[in-house]
Amino acid sequence: MSKIAEIMEEPVIASVSPAPEIGTVPKMLSGGQALMECLLAEGVDTIFGYPGGAIMPIYDALYDYTDRIRHVLVRHEQGASHAAEGYARSSGRVGVCMATSGPGATNLVTGIADAIIDCTPMVAITGQVASHLLGTDAFQETDVIGITTPICKWNYQIIDPDEIPEILAKAFFIAQAGKPGPVLIDITKDAQTKLMSKKFEYKKVEKLAGYHPRRVPKIEQVEKAAEMINNAKRPYILFGHGVLISEAVKEFQAFVEKTDIPCASTLLGLSGMPIDHPNYMGWLGMHGMYAPNVMTDECDVLIAIGMRFDDRVTGDAELFAKQARIIHIEIDPAEIEKIKKTEAPVVGDIKEVLNLLMPLVKKGDYTAWKNEFRKLEPEEKLKVTDRDLGGSDQIKMAEVVKMVSDKTKGEACVVVDVGQHQMVAARYYQFKKPHSYIASGGLGTMGFAIPAALGAKMGAPDRNVIAFIGDGCFQMTIQELGTIAQSGLAVKLIILNNNFLGMVRQWQQLFFDKRYSFVELQNPDFITIARGFGIDGHKCTERESLEESIDKMLNHQGSYLLEVVVEKEENVFPMVPAGRSVSEIRLE
Amino acid sequence: MSTYTICVFTENSIGLLNKITVIFTRRRINIDSLTVSETERKGISRFTIVIKHEKREEVEKLVRQTRKIVEVLAVFGYLNDDIVYNEIALFKIATPLGSKPLDVDTINRVYKAWVVYWGLDYVAIQKTGTEVEIFDFFKYLKPYGIIEFVRSGRVAVGKTPQGLVEYLPEDMEWEYYL
Repeated sequence: MSKIAEIMEEPVIASVSPAPEIGTVPKMLSGGQALMECLLAEGVDTIFGYPGGAIMPIYDALYDYTDRIRHVLVRHEQGASHAAEGYARSSGRVGVCMATSGPGATNLVTGIADAIIDCTPMVAITGQVASHLLGTDAFQETDVIGITTPICKWNYQIIDPDEIPEILAKAFFIAQAGKPGPVLIDITKDAQTKLMSKKFEYKKVEKLAGYHPRRVPKIEQVEKAAEMINNAKRPYILFGHGVLISEAVKEFQAFVEKTDIPCASTLLGLSGMPIDHPNYMGWLGMHGMYAPNVMTDECDVLIAIGMRFDDRVTGDAELFAKQARIIHIEIDPAEIEKIKKTEAPVVGDIKEVLNLLMPLVKKGDYTAWKNEFRKLEPEEKLKVTDRDLGGSDQIKMAEVVKMVSDKTKGEACVVVDVGQHQMVAARYYQFKKPHSYIASGGLGTMGFAIPAALGAKMGAPDRNVIAFIGDGCFQMTIQELGTIAQSGLAVKLIILNNNFLGMVRQWQQLFFDKRYSFVELQNPDFITIARGFGIDGHKCTERESLEESIDKMLNHQGSYLLEVVVEKEENVFPMVPAGRSVSEIRLE
Repeated sequence: MSTYTICVFTENSIGLLNKITVIFTRRRINIDSLTVSETERKGISRFTIVIKHEKREEVEKLVRQTRKIVEVLAVFGYLNDDIVYNEIALFKIATPLGSKPLDVDTINRVYKAWVVYWGLDYVAIQKTGTEVEIFDFFKYLKPYGIIEFVRSGRVAVGKTPQGLVEYLPEDMEWEYYL
């Protein structure tokens, strides 16, 4: 059997068709077929990928599975990993991407690094040169295991097809369990081609010897947290991405309503709470809202839920909420006290923790305390919001976002790229539904939005997916317009074009004496480019035609590109200067 | 600066050393010594990593982060007082004709070291002990002319009555070594 595989690498496999059902297989499966069966067993319906030499046997196997697994041919492997992220973020399921060895694998790296820092479940599959060539600098050989070790939750190289079911089961478990993240599986070409020596059997993994994250917290920890919450005078909840990842939105809202504690979200926690909820005070961080930021200096008990005290949230971590006693609810024990001393850590899945916490907490009277937040709002409105929303000849980014928000009733799934527009979208989109702000938060990856928007649409086909993208970001993954066009799906793309790398320019203005070093762009005609890819669009330059433009985009069947020329030198405020205390927040 | 000994129990798989050391690299912590061997349980390796650090909290973070590696089963960080530890060193000493003869008796009795190989014009001496003891012996031997000196990494066991088994996942049936 192995002999046949050795002699006849491709032909043997190509002739096995159609793909046999599990359990009734008279013949042994090839590595490539086994991989497909694993993906089916895990319920994978979509793969974002790009073929190449060392992954051809897998693509050949895939050819027989296209009725059950949809493959999206991206235009660059970076697009595959970001699309997988978008898919995972909108659907809550594992995003799967696939690439060949060498450059294919290295092109996935940015998306993998993005996924680990934003806790996005992903399985990346890479082809590798045949096992006898490993380590010889063979054509398109690269040590992808070595390269991705620091950015993967787990990675593994398969050289024997018999390993495939077990390793893939582990991969999907690890990608989703505990704090989700990316897993990379590298499969040598011979392992893809060879037949398995035993019958294919797939057993899902539920626990590993070294990895069995605690979901249900220790009750003493919950009791301690409850006691601190109940005795607090000025408690304040900061919640992050974890609330969304753990699908605990309902439980979280119930918890907030029962205790009546004011809450604010991190950037990635956005849409975890409807924006018009009376206890929701906004989001905090470097460009977050005024009250949520400065009130971290006023609370006596800070309840951090599913967030990790990122430096863009805390500014100077030493000074951040230094007066407060901290409760930290988090699934990853390594996050506890990584940044802030914590009096009451609660390690567990947020949904489980909240379920246990609910009966122990009581309602407090925080009317006056909540009013302190609300009292700060007029100042922000006057100094920031009113300015952002008008008072200039040119269109402002905020106006565009606000109008799109109003017209979509705050119910769209918003995908953003990285920079000023990302912050403006976070400020002015009025999120009403969970899983609606998909951004590269931790890594800050420019070029994220186009592929992630396509992935998000595939993960949530019933939702209206709208991407806000800067003119700089747009050109980093512009080729994925082709993928969107080929998919036939309706993804709405909005370029907020200020002809600048706006955020860098803002920093240069504020912190580098206006020395604008390489931030001005000579942009192409984006609409012509989109049309070249088969995506319709138009450019809006006047405020008078903005509403009509947005209507046109929203009503268009299929994908659409709207380019809005916005004010060139606009700054995003509020702003907590990097590494400073939130008390140094600037409103202008 | 305190010396910390970090014991990491892992499954025995390819590339694990790299997975562990990148965590040290990211935090810019230099590894003083490193020893890896299989434990009394088949398929379970033990890494003994010695580092120096000023802040205990930072070492605690390192330990927690190391525990996150999927193949890692347990991690312990120790101060020197918490463990019994030793290293082994080999010295190659020149003994040409007419040179000052080695005082083997002192080497054996005072330094608890042994000549393990007699060459024609050199000997190899083996010494087991702590870093301090080994360097003490180094000073003693120096006048004789040290051609070569090599020191192993530290090996250590905790001063608690428990064994490794008590920290491993409960429902795993590990095969004993031997």
